[in-house]
Amino acid sequence: MSGFDARMRPLAVRAGLALLLFAVLPAVLAGFDRSYYYQVANLALIFVLLAASLQLVTGVAGLLHLGHAAFYGVGAYAAALLSTELGLGFTVTLPLAGLIAAVIALLVALPTMRLVSIYFAVATLAIGQMLYLVMLNWVGLTKGPNGIVLTRGLELFGFDLSGRLATYYTVAGVVALSLVALGRLSHSYYGNALRSIREDDQCADAMGVRTARLKMEVFTLSAFFAGVAGALWAHMTGYISPGDFDFGESILILAMIVVGGLGSLPGAAIGALVLILLPEVLRDLGDFRNIMVGLVMFGCILFLPKGLMGEVSALRLARQQFGAAWRRTGNGVGIGWR
Amino acid sequence: MIDPYYLQQLAIGLSLGMTYALMAIGFTLIFGVLNVVNFAHGEVYTIGAFAGLVAITAFAPPFLAVLFLALAAGAAAGFSLERIAFRPFRRFTDEASLKSRAMRESTLLSSLAVSIVVREALEIVFGSEMQPLPFEYMINAPVQAGPVTLATGDLIIFGVAAAMLAGLQYMLKRTRIGLSIRAVSNNPLGARYVGINTDRTIVMTFVVGSTMGAAAGILVGLYYGAIFPAMGFIPGVKAFVAMVMGGLSSIPGAVISALILGVSESMATTFLASGWADMVAYGFLILTLVFFPSGLFGAGRERV
Repeated sequence: MSGFDARMRPLAVRAGLALLLFAVLPAVLAGFDRSYYYQVANLALIFVLLAASLQLVTGVAGLLHLGHAAFYGVGAYAAALLSTELGLGFTVTLPLAGLIAAVIALLVALPTMRLVSIYFAVATLAIGQMLYLVMLNWVGLTKGPNGIVLTRGLELFGFDLSGRLATYYTVAGVVALSLVALGRLSHSYYGNALRSIREDDQCADAMGVRTARLKMEVFTLSAFFAGVAGALWAHMTGYISPGDFDFGESILILAMIVVGGLGSLPGAAIGALVLILLPEVLRDLGDFRNIMVGLVMFGCILFLPKGLMGEVSALRLARQQFGAAWRRTGNGVGIGWR
Repeated sequence: MIDPYYLQQLAIGLSLGMTYALMAIGFTLIFGVLNVVNFAHGEVYTIGAFAGLVAITAFAPPFLAVLFLALAAGAAAGFSLERIAFRPFRRFTDEASLKSRAMRESTLLSSLAVSIVVREALEIVFGSEMQPLPFEYMINAPVQAGPVTLATGDLIIFGVAAAMLAGLQYMLKRTRIGLSIRAVSNNPLGARYVGINTDRTIVMTFVVGSTMGAAAGILVGLYYGAIFPAMGFIPGVKAFVAMVMGGLSSIPGAVISALILGVSESMATTFLASGWADMVAYGFLILTLVFFPSGLFGAGRERV
């Protein structure tokens, strides 16, 4: 890396990514000028945000979260209802959707955050399903399985942004800002405290990290960003229905961060891009697209325990430790590597 | 005098609870030996139902043959599930890694991935909608028992499930393989030291658990006439709830919780629209987790 100060490199990477996101991609999209490509680009960006927000809980803080799509749905429904029932614009509904998702997450987090490992995963699964059932069955509020049609397009402080390119720029801008925030949260002392919970929560507790409070905070924060993603989705597509936020969607988001690498923010983005763009590229395969999600996820767990762009994987750490133990005992005698 | 309607709901609830119990036992056995949750258990249930369906459409065998074919398919599914989704991640057998979080989460995710693949594959082969069933195989002919009208399915499910539970109890308590299953779930390392083949025991546990899950699948499929690729998800979650309520590794606890769950659910449909009935199970789960973290019937288990 001659002529390139090591400290400048992350900056250069970020500048390059921003250039790609805000100049190159829009230029390419405008060049093709087909609304399908815009849709795919927006969808991919929204899922990048969802994966990154789940990454904070599951990857960095190590809490397996199986109901993330429900908070995404809460955000989408909040934005859609605020927009159709109260006639509020995107400027107001976007932050409000995030806040409503965060408040609901905080409420469900209060009783359940004491739970650990698999109990926590099960509780989040139940919470996700409960929220899904509410979306599906509370016909009076959510219109049930019929979904909600949004009549107003995107606008920001009174400017009309419902054109294709304007929509793309809005989505990209919100996602980029959220990613910067999530990056600051996970690569900082705060993120390190979360990692300490992941590695050993009892030890972290003993060292003075307020684990219960941190878990609650990170769960709420992640729900906030999921809610923001939901609002983007609702305003982008103009139509939402409960089917978009079911358990399968939670699993898809989880698969994204597993494929990308648990604990790494770029990994989450890459995983989301792979699992959104791969089915679009493989459109000819038709029905086999969903199988691909499962196969890619399985292959990644089996062959790439670190993911495509991993941080550290606990399995790898374990292998190093036990590999050392195995070398000491030697020749296959006793316990250890088999 | 109790309203016959409630008695009827009670009977339906009990048979529903029995199918949850059959599923929950699979979860409990596997959690016992491996300390991991098998997220593909719901798909074993689906495979059982589809195996029965294929047998029916192909050569219309008698009911018992359908049942046994479904059980065999379940056993095969359990065997291959263990090979594909669990064995590759069990590279270390020492105590620390058996308890390690990485091990549990990777198997959890891999079983999840396998369940996605199985469900989608079934959807490609059979289509995602409900499969038509020949009328003569449906087990919902009405049976009059005093003032209460039951379906044959209620009785058959209850009978088959009770027989399987008794068989399981016999196997666990009176046979060599049952002894080794109990030994491994009590202490995997200790079992290894006294010469038990833990790998074979784990395979056997999967086979037994999956057989029971497949039985539940074909029975429910024939009772409600609803066989479709995504059918395993909701019962899987319910059985999971029953397992957690029962205290994770207690089989009687899981069975009792499953019955409680089934009855309260069928009673709830009296007061709630059927769409909300699933809420009961999730509510139970959250309440159990918050107030009885070690389950209603669980012994004090170390929560790692």
